[in-house]
Amino acid sequence: MTVAAEATAHRSRRRPRSKRIAQASVPYLLILPVVVVITAILGYPLYKLVVLSFQQYGLAELIQAATSGAPAPWVGFDNYSSVLHDEVFWQVLLRTVIFTVANVALTIGLGTLIAFLLIRVSTWVRVPLTAALVLAWSMPAVVAVQIWLWMTNFENGVLNYVLTELHVGDYTGHDWYGSTFSKLAMVTLLIVWGAIPFVTITVYAGLAQVPRELVEAAEIDGAGPVRVFRDVTFPILKPIFLILTSLSIIWDFGVFTQPYLLIGSSAVDTTNYLMGVYVFIEGYAHSDFGRGAAISLLMLLIISVLSVFYVRRMVKMGEAS
Amino acid sequence: MNVRALAAAVLVAALAVVAVGAGGAAGGSSANTLTVWLQVDAQSGWPEVVAAANAQFKAQNPGWDVDVQYQTWGTHLAKFDATLAGGNAPDVIEMGNTEMTKYSAAGAFQDLTAISFPNKSTWLQGLAASGRYGGKIFGVPYYAGSRVVTYRTDLFRAAGGKIPQSQNEFIALARKIGAKNKAKTFSPVYIAGTDWYVAMSFVYDYGGTIAVTRKGKWVGTLDKPAALAGLAAYKRFFNASSRAPAGSNESAPQPYDVMAHGNAASTYGPGWFTCCVGDYKNRVAQFVMPSHTKGQSIPGFLGGSDLAVPVGGDKDKAAAWISAFTDNASMTALRAKGNIPNTTSLLGTSVNERAARKSWFVPQSKNWVNVENGNVLRTMLQRILSGRSSIKDAASVASDNITYTLNQ
Repeated sequence: MTVAAEATAHRSRRRPRSKRIAQASVPYLLILPVVVVITAILGYPLYKLVVLSFQQYGLAELIQAATSGAPAPWVGFDNYSSVLHDEVFWQVLLRTVIFTVANVALTIGLGTLIAFLLIRVSTWVRVPLTAALVLAWSMPAVVAVQIWLWMTNFENGVLNYVLTELHVGDYTGHDWYGSTFSKLAMVTLLIVWGAIPFVTITVYAGLAQVPRELVEAAEIDGAGPVRVFRDVTFPILKPIFLILTSLSIIWDFGVFTQPYLLIGSSAVDTTNYLMGVYVFIEGYAHSDFGRGAAISLLMLLIISVLSVFYVRRMVKMGEAS
Repeated sequence: MNVRALAAAVLVAALAVVAVGAGGAAGGSSANTLTVWLQVDAQSGWPEVVAAANAQFKAQNPGWDVDVQYQTWGTHLAKFDATLAGGNAPDVIEMGNTEMTKYSAAGAFQDLTAISFPNKSTWLQGLAASGRYGGKIFGVPYYAGSRVVTYRTDLFRAAGGKIPQSQNEFIALARKIGAKNKAKTFSPVYIAGTDWYVAMSFVYDYGGTIAVTRKGKWVGTLDKPAALAGLAAYKRFFNASSRAPAGSNESAPQPYDVMAHGNAASTYGPGWFTCCVGDYKNRVAQFVMPSHTKGQSIPGFLGGSDLAVPVGGDKDKAAAWISAFTDNASMTALRAKGNIPNTTSLLGTSVNERAARKSWFVPQSKNWVNVENGNVLRTMLQRILSGRSSIKDAASVASDNITYTLNQ
């Protein structure tokens, strides 16, 4: 082999390698702007929140910081220990976990069932139904709360009127927010109603991707609808369910608008706080922003643990089947 | 598109929705605009007084404009905190007299001691006291309101009722009116179950209190015998006269709306309630709520508002607007609406002013507002009225809670 030939061989070997590196780095370069933006708009507030949670930061400190720029006193882990030693925090946490499980299960369950319904019905039914779902999804939470309050009003709400007229019972003057359970049940109804469309439309889109021949083959082998769903449809749609459930957990665990507005600022108290409302009352209503920051960081931690636990379980289930 | 790509698309769409939801609108005032936060009471009750003050201010301060933004009691403090942090607080804010102490103590307001406001020397004592902290004036009295019974003259007459002179007479009359109007949503005397302003009037009527100071510390006193007797009297009165749910509150629905719907023969609340009873406007009158002692009146909550100037704004312009809004012409107009004016020089003998002669006020602690925000009293009242716990148990829990909160 001549020197020239050897050099050519070297070059031809080297060129693909640098090309490979360049190719490998392209995705990272493409994602870089997004990472920078996300770090700026999420990372900086998060950093401020962490700092805040280690400070004694009340109304007086807030006004001082805004007028003279004086820093708030550093108190170490005082905020965290006061929250963790508060029995109200643990009650609210337990209540919120139960609330989240109920809401997510109802949302995903009913949403999936309606998605199956959408496949079965004719186009004439499907189009109006889809339109109604999109309308429900696009309704702002604050507006929805006002309409629900109007419908469930004890004095002249349409719900009491209709139930009474239908002879379901005498619901004249019935208070739908009479007990802690009924308050949270009304909140659950509103949230599930608002969240179903997203689940339904997504699962419906996913069902269109399930190969028809797989379902038919299973049916010929004698599998019932439940069996087909469990062993054919669900495994194929699992990435979708994974995303939907994780998102629902995150939304429902920290939900604020619906419980605060539906139960009402003059009726939220330690017997019906959910996490989102609890943070708001402790942080804003009591003007103890440091403590509020500590609670919200604890929330973040809990939600991360819940999500990781859930995703791992789902992935394991997938490997097992 | 395969399932994984679909899942990814869903995730992106969901995050986009969250991001859109998170982008809130921020308000701000331009250089020559005075931003004023008033409660919706002014918007529904006396908008023309606000308009007149704005016109007067603009005439005296050429080139200036006034932006009045109406707030609700339940949310205005949280919004105020946010604007304080963001440096875009309003130039003038209406504060409830129970809310002043916390914010004055924290240094949220500018010192107005040196400014000569109209009628400053004859301000209502009780109201002016709520605007003072540490010897300085931070709040200008705006108006006070006592609570009176607003009633339908036709329904009371039909029940053969004279004006009741004691609580027992009132209960007997309420039963008579109820017997003539049997609808399940009809209240002879509409009172929201958790209306603690009413309930605490019964407590004070029996010689009870919410909290007292002992050796420099606050002690909750709702579990004392006098207060318990008052709570029992409230429960008795409520059961005989109101069909509101135990957990209802006095802002949803507004008691005057219930009267306007024809669902109540009377209600016990602020004097300006006659404004908004709809078609019954010419068939309502008012009297002073009687005590359990015959011939006397019940001590009523002396509600009221102050006008304060948050730090950072133009103090002189803000003070000029406040002066226009609290001068004799404004106060005379407010009085005509059934409010108590901020100056003794305009006080008369209206039913509202007679009711104000006996009054009670909340414990003056900077932490009192946390008791209100935590709905401690409302929770207690709901438990008592729904029968979920005994009066004594509910009152003890509330009392311990109040002791703890006030001493924080």
